[in-house]
Amino acid sequence: MLKRVAFVLFCLICGRHPAAWGHTPRLDFNRDIRPILSDKCYHCHGHDAEQRQAGLRLDQEVAAKANLGGYRAIAPGDPDASELVARIVSSDLQLKMPPADSGKQLQAEEIATLRRWIEQGAAWSEPWTYVPPLHHPIPEVRQVGWPLNWVDRLVLSRLETARIEPAPEADRVTLIRRVNFDLTGLPPTPDEVDAFVEDRRPGAYVRLVERLLASPHYGQRMASYWFDLVRYADTVGYHGDQDHNIAPYRDYVIDAFNDNMPLDRFTHEQLAGDLLPETTGRSKKVERLIATGYNRLLQTSHEGGIQPKEYLAIYAADRVRNLSSVWMAATMGCCQCHDHKYDPYTSKDFYSMEAFFADIDEAGHFTKGGNALPTQRPPELDVLNRTQRGRLTQLENQIAVMKRRSDSHASETDQIRQLEKACQAIRAQTRRTMVTVSIPPRTIRILPRGDWLDENGPIVEPAVPEFLGRLEVGGRRPNRLDLAHWLTDPQQGVGGLTARVFANRFWYLCFGTGIARQLDDFGGQGEPPANLALLDNLAIELLESGWDVKQLLKLLVTSRTYRQSSLDRPEVASLDPYNQLTARQARYRLPAEMVRDQILAVSGLLVDARGGPSIRPYQPAGYYRNLNFPKRTYHADTDSHQWRRGVYMHWQRQFLHPMLKALDAPSREECTAGRPRSNTPLAALTLLNDPSFVEAARLFAQRILTEGDSQTQSRLDHAFRLAVSHRPDATERRLLTELLQSRLQQFANDPEAVEQLLQIGVAPIDQHLDPVELAAWTSVARAILNMNETVTRN
Amino acid sequence: MNPLDPADVATASHRRAFLARTGIGLGSIALHTLFGRDHLAAGASSQSLGLPGLPHYAPRAKRVIFLCMAGGPSHLESFDYKPELAALSGQPMPASFTEGQPIAQLQGQVLKAQGPMTRFGRYGQNGQEISDFFPWTQKLADDICIVRSLVGEQINHDPAHTFMNTGTAISGRPSIGSWVNYGLGSESNELPGFVVLTSEGGRNPQPIASRQWAAGFLPSQFQGVPFQSTGAAVHYVRNPPGIRSTQQQELVRTVARLDRHRNEQVHNQEIDTRIAAYEMAYRMQTSVPELMDLADESPTTLAMYGATPGDGTYASNCLLARRLAERGVRFIHLYHRGWDHHDRLRKYMNICCGLTDRATWALLTDLKQRGLLEDTLVIWGGEFGRTPMVQLKGGKGPGRDHHIKGFSMWLAGGGIQGGITYGATDELGYHAVENIVHIRDLHATLLHLLGIDPQRFSVKFQGLDMRLTGVEPSRVVQEILT
Repeated sequence: MLKRVAFVLFCLICGRHPAAWGHTPRLDFNRDIRPILSDKCYHCHGHDAEQRQAGLRLDQEVAAKANLGGYRAIAPGDPDASELVARIVSSDLQLKMPPADSGKQLQAEEIATLRRWIEQGAAWSEPWTYVPPLHHPIPEVRQVGWPLNWVDRLVLSRLETARIEPAPEADRVTLIRRVNFDLTGLPPTPDEVDAFVEDRRPGAYVRLVERLLASPHYGQRMASYWFDLVRYADTVGYHGDQDHNIAPYRDYVIDAFNDNMPLDRFTHEQLAGDLLPETTGRSKKVERLIATGYNRLLQTSHEGGIQPKEYLAIYAADRVRNLSSVWMAATMGCCQCHDHKYDPYTSKDFYSMEAFFADIDEAGHFTKGGNALPTQRPPELDVLNRTQRGRLTQLENQIAVMKRRSDSHASETDQIRQLEKACQAIRAQTRRTMVTVSIPPRTIRILPRGDWLDENGPIVEPAVPEFLGRLEVGGRRPNRLDLAHWLTDPQQGVGGLTARVFANRFWYLCFGTGIARQLDDFGGQGEPPANLALLDNLAIELLESGWDVKQLLKLLVTSRTYRQSSLDRPEVASLDPYNQLTARQARYRLPAEMVRDQILAVSGLLVDARGGPSIRPYQPAGYYRNLNFPKRTYHADTDSHQWRRGVYMHWQRQFLHPMLKALDAPSREECTAGRPRSNTPLAALTLLNDPSFVEAARLFAQRILTEGDSQTQSRLDHAFRLAVSHRPDATERRLLTELLQSRLQQFANDPEAVEQLLQIGVAPIDQHLDPVELAAWTSVARAILNMNETVTRN
Repeated sequence: MNPLDPADVATASHRRAFLARTGIGLGSIALHTLFGRDHLAAGASSQSLGLPGLPHYAPRAKRVIFLCMAGGPSHLESFDYKPELAALSGQPMPASFTEGQPIAQLQGQVLKAQGPMTRFGRYGQNGQEISDFFPWTQKLADDICIVRSLVGEQINHDPAHTFMNTGTAISGRPSIGSWVNYGLGSESNELPGFVVLTSEGGRNPQPIASRQWAAGFLPSQFQGVPFQSTGAAVHYVRNPPGIRSTQQQELVRTVARLDRHRNEQVHNQEIDTRIAAYEMAYRMQTSVPELMDLADESPTTLAMYGATPGDGTYASNCLLARRLAERGVRFIHLYHRGWDHHDRLRKYMNICCGLTDRATWALLTDLKQRGLLEDTLVIWGGEFGRTPMVQLKGGKGPGRDHHIKGFSMWLAGGGIQGGITYGATDELGYHAVENIVHIRDLHATLLHLLGIDPQRFSVKFQGLDMRLTGVEPSRVVQEILT
């Protein structure tokens, strides 16, 4: 069906309606043909030599068009002479392709498309994925006034061809709200909304964007996404699911985004920070080591009776799966057991990639890791955060200076002692974190069918996938740093591919869907990008800017395309149901952490503390009852940690906090490049009844009662402005006023209920307020916090 | 178009046809969005309507109750009697059996045989062999089909459970209950279609990760919902303190009106979904406590199960399983977590069987009496079996280690031939040698009984046609079907 949509789109783009084909439209191999061949034929006629039937390959042009002894599978220009056509239309079940037992079937449209393509000469092209991005010329457009930058021209040109009008610009309130969530994960305050709406000077929006990109909340928002990719979590994941030490890595990632660390550097430090040459000061070295926590993020097991060899194989495969998903949007995991069926990756490639990580010291997993909380997973490092490190250096310098003077006045000695005490106090705050330490690499073999017990496979050395080239390292054994450079180097490596992968994901963060919709699969079974020119040019922008993430995001969010309204127009929706042409913005429920942050921000509870160990919001009693080794009791925070941002929440892989789980946050067992967006009763129950949200409603009510005047109408106005950035209309006012009246009446007669409701959560109650009024407004606040609009980005 | 592709099911034309077929308006239909794609799914989440074209053929069973004895019950002390092993007891295990085999906690130790630690008898018309640890299961001999030739691939608990439930040890795949609900939909519009209940007792309880009931790459509405035996049965299913039920209802109604009003301006189908989800949530706030409240069960029934309401035992869970089955819940998964008998096997078998055997009998008997057994598939077993070799952990009395090359389970109910034993292990109970049933075959058989062709039931994920039964060949074990 997707293919049909793609085809309809194609027709639209060509300005033709399928029913009105005067001329046969020109088919494109990568867009129209490869997806069919890949899905229906490559399982037996593709890359995997072991599975290949009748020696026929349809994944390579020469083989597919070769003379097979008097006939050809594909005879360019002549469908009737093409065996492929004969076989797919055959009514003889012995001959018909794909065979019945494959479970695959070609649709009539697909057969017609293949036929027509052969008719047109069967033009072939290499998979778009492995062709480095090219700079595509920026097209001319008719509506010259619409584009604000080249992104818009690439988008508009497609829309004009399809005869679709872009959506009108969103109003300023929607815009500031949208860009706030996208760049910081937080709502704008009413004052910020007013300031932006009233700022009629030119450049108001760009100034807003610049302010948000400079905000420390930007890093927190971007990090949340990064953590899904690299599967960052606080627990080991398997069996006992014990805590492990890794929180400093979280701070590192947040800092890196806030510093706008170039994405290539960010890659090098995480994969191989321990191997990077010493070029900068002491503190930076610590950060690079913290960064190598990336290699330790995978799930591990401390179950009694695990076989180290089996688990080393599991860990090695996990790393290749993650690396290939995160940086290459490749599903190399398939090659653990066999050559990839749809992409050119081989089993040998898989194990050669594993070999890059063969030097990681993880023997401690099997000897030291036990049932303690947190479990020990050496090598670990005791570290301070950046602020602490800075302060410590400052104090140490101060002491050194004083000691150098050493006139040894009693007062100075005293002062030095004080300073040393302060140093000690800071040092006492160190936190432990897993890091990568390189040891002589263990032997990596190809495991036949992925079987770790089978030692007959050949030994492999670290190497990048063969079809993508090779590393030139002058005869020494290539290491993780070489791999990291290869991933980000557009000349010597696959930097162009990596740039595309991330440009696509940054687009997804700003538009709700990728230009290529499969964010983690650019292979034959993924979908080709809806607008390759756009994706390529964004990738090149990212490369040419020196992997400047903020600059790319700025380019995206300041485009006219981004500023469009998200309202769907029925006539456009029927032409472009998946909004692949970006004829509007997108509307979707906020991700789990943002729902939390939004509600806490609206209520005034949000505590903007940064860094440190994970926080623990309220959680249902007994939620960890099915954990053991050791048994677990959850202690919710009783101080201000209770109201910190979602990015700092304790991430228990096996039993993710029910709020996170209900709102589609992943367990982070594997890479997640795009979260589902569901709308389930469990999510409704959570928003309605989770004490964090009821407490927030209580504080929100308090805020409504104390910040505005005493008129119900102005109170509702204020509440709405806090929650959804605009005032309620008459209907909304009426509905909420009715609810308020009903509640005032009922609570006046039910003091016990009032007391119970106001006791939810640990946030203090404003004793000056009338409890009945506070309880009634808490109900109104609950209604507002549960509105779709409150948790929607549009 | 692949009707089983979640991306395809949502297409406009399909949706129209589907709605016409079911006579359901959009207001009660949820559109699940996955990676920006619309999905057709039932608004009330769990009461999805299933996929068009499914079941593929007439089902023999409508629902499944999986009684998982987590930890791995010993086949050698339950259903697989090995006199030759008794003869060899205390002697070194012949290397021909163990060489090159995966070993868990016995790695690096001398492997010695251990004879059966209890007596067996023959029960039922066909004389099925059942050990003395299971006096109540003995009474079920004519109802159950004992399979003695199960083979698994994972020798540690966590991955073995994951394999048993998802067909692979790799995280992120849907569990059976999710598959089944995705394919067939749920028959309840006020309860989730996939419910999980756990209980303890016996040896140190096995951890059971929520991965075991995860929806994986299927829409999250198909995930299993664990019901707690104490506190709120489902998280957040209780009103906040101080909020009465009528108020909660009024709140939900106000939210729905506010959302509907907003939707007049933005025309977003997702909002209809959301309204439906809130309505279902509110219904669950009533239906779940009703389900959990055993007050309407007769004392005779409670005595039959040995259940005390609210005690959170396996017995209570069995009774709840029957109540869930009655209410149309498609997949009911019980875990009893005490079966990892590395030491003192005899003691722990006595405890575990004491806690479960009677209730299992009561569940089957009760289902039968109510006419539910004929379309309910009941499965009993663990994630693996236990070694014919002894484990002397801490000198506390003999136990057995994990074992995956041959172990036993039993099936009963819809479409299963009762009173038969299928498959066999070798003379020492090590390798399954006759009529081998791989876990994949168990999955294939389960799907088949529900009217699903295992080969044709796939979902696209990362470009692959994913199946519960995986890529390796699997077969429906026709020989045990009626």
